Amino acid sequence: MAATVKYDEVEVGQEIPAADYPVRRINLVMYAGASGDFNQIHWNERFAKTVGLPDVIAHGMFTMAQAGRFVTDWAGDPGAVVDYGVRFSSMVVVPDDDEGTVITVSGVVEEKLEDKRVVVALTAKCADSRVLSKARALVQLS
Amino acid sequence: MTVTTDSTLHERLMTLAERQIAAGEVFGAAAADPVNLPMIRHWTDAMGDANPVYTDPEAAAASAHGGIVAPPAMIQVWTMPGVNRKAGQTPTPVDDVLATLNEGGYTGVVATNCEQTYHRYIRPGERLVPATRFAGLAGPKRTALGEGYFVTWNVTWYSGDEAVAEMLFRVLKFRPRKKKDPAGEEGPQAGAGEGTPQAGAGERAPYPLRPAVNGDTAFFWEGVAQGELRIQRCGGCGELRHPPGPMCPSCRSTDRGYAVASGEGEVYSYVVHHNPPVPGRQTPFVVAVVQLPEGVRIVGNVVDCAPSEVGIGMRVRVTYRQMDDELTLPMWAPREA
Repeated sequence: MAATVKYDEVEVGQEIPAADYPVRRINLVMYAGASGDFNQIHWNERFAKTVGLPDVIAHGMFTMAQAGRFVTDWAGDPGAVVDYGVRFSSMVVVPDDDEGTVITVSGVVEEKLEDKRVVVALTAKCADSRVLSKARALVQLS
Repeated sequence: MTVTTDSTLHERLMTLAERQIAAGEVFGAAAADPVNLPMIRHWTDAMGDANPVYTDPEAAAASAHGGIVAPPAMIQVWTMPGVNRKAGQTPTPVDDVLATLNEGGYTGVVATNCEQTYHRYIRPGERLVPATRFAGLAGPKRTALGEGYFVTWNVTWYSGDEAVAEMLFRVLKFRPRKKKDPAGEEGPQAGAGEGTPQAGAGERAPYPLRPAVNGDTAFFWEGVAQGELRIQRCGGCGELRHPPGPMCPSCRSTDRGYAVASGEGEVYSYVVHHNPPVPGRQTPFVVAVVQLPEGVRIVGNVVDCAPSEVGIGMRVRVTYRQMDDELTLPMWAPREA
């Protein structure tokens, strides 16, 4: 795991290097089972298209959780996410091939607050589209 | 007819939404199982998240958490109803609204917002109880996916009497657009929008972009609605001009009328638009400057042929495309040689 990030060593404007998270259909099938969200738009191409979607799309919560995990990987122990909000601005379309697609997440420390808390602004992109917007995580550091 | 049905549905939805908001916080069934390591492992496997505080008892014990904690983003997972257990599930105040939207044809769904607050991390053994509050219904709105309603609700998860996490969730329930297959365009990137619209198609979602119609341009759009390509003509010197404006650039007269163009033209210049996505349109599409024999140039889409077939000097003829129940746009199609 990443080394512990200390509040005193963090600066506003500090960038957190981008990380790539590949997504293939199998990840969505695994996530469906693990999350209990079996909506067919996340695994059934035929169904997804009949409800007006271009193809199978990733669960919004999958994308949100990957970006949240980007923060916890950065913060390390004992960092903890306190508040976390996103807007799902584009869909993560996952084609039925061996490559799937990739969600790229990056972040910047936007604010330092009291009680050793910081606000991290996150950017998540997939296929040149911003898939999360207004993504902010309030993180408790040590 | 359609309007009557829609306004009735809209009223029904709004009445239902008010009732659900008034119902306040409605407790659901407790999680089928307490927070547990096997489910955490399934979830972290799916995410590819190797953080040991979620799955490795020793490493977790040595961490600031002092033991295994569940990933915060799993909060919703613990009380998901699953597929087969759904029937017996305690209804939430959101169910009826979603069902009414489905009945009304708003069958599509995408999540648009999620905000979660974790008051503390939760641990294996805790059995959560969800409570849902219906927060709001907004619509109908035109979106890139089609006409739809935004539905918002809040969930609070309790462990015993303690609220451990909260969530705001918003989805867009939309009416899927009718799929069209325009001739000569394969549209490999199906995108969220619809293809080049075909004239005369039946019921459809409103086209998301509208022309600016004002005192100077109304005659043009009235002409389009009647299948006429009208070009503004100065009432003083008789010069044609396009786009329409309030004053003649040649003689400064504000007296103005129009002429009806023959509807023929030649591509003067063009671009093939690939990106960014445009609401209601399928990329790629062609935007051309068309030179009219009457002497003016006009901007419009070239349709009914592949973008690769479009070239400067190409002979085109105006065609009128009904974008939705109200709007028709003039476009340009190849002229038969």
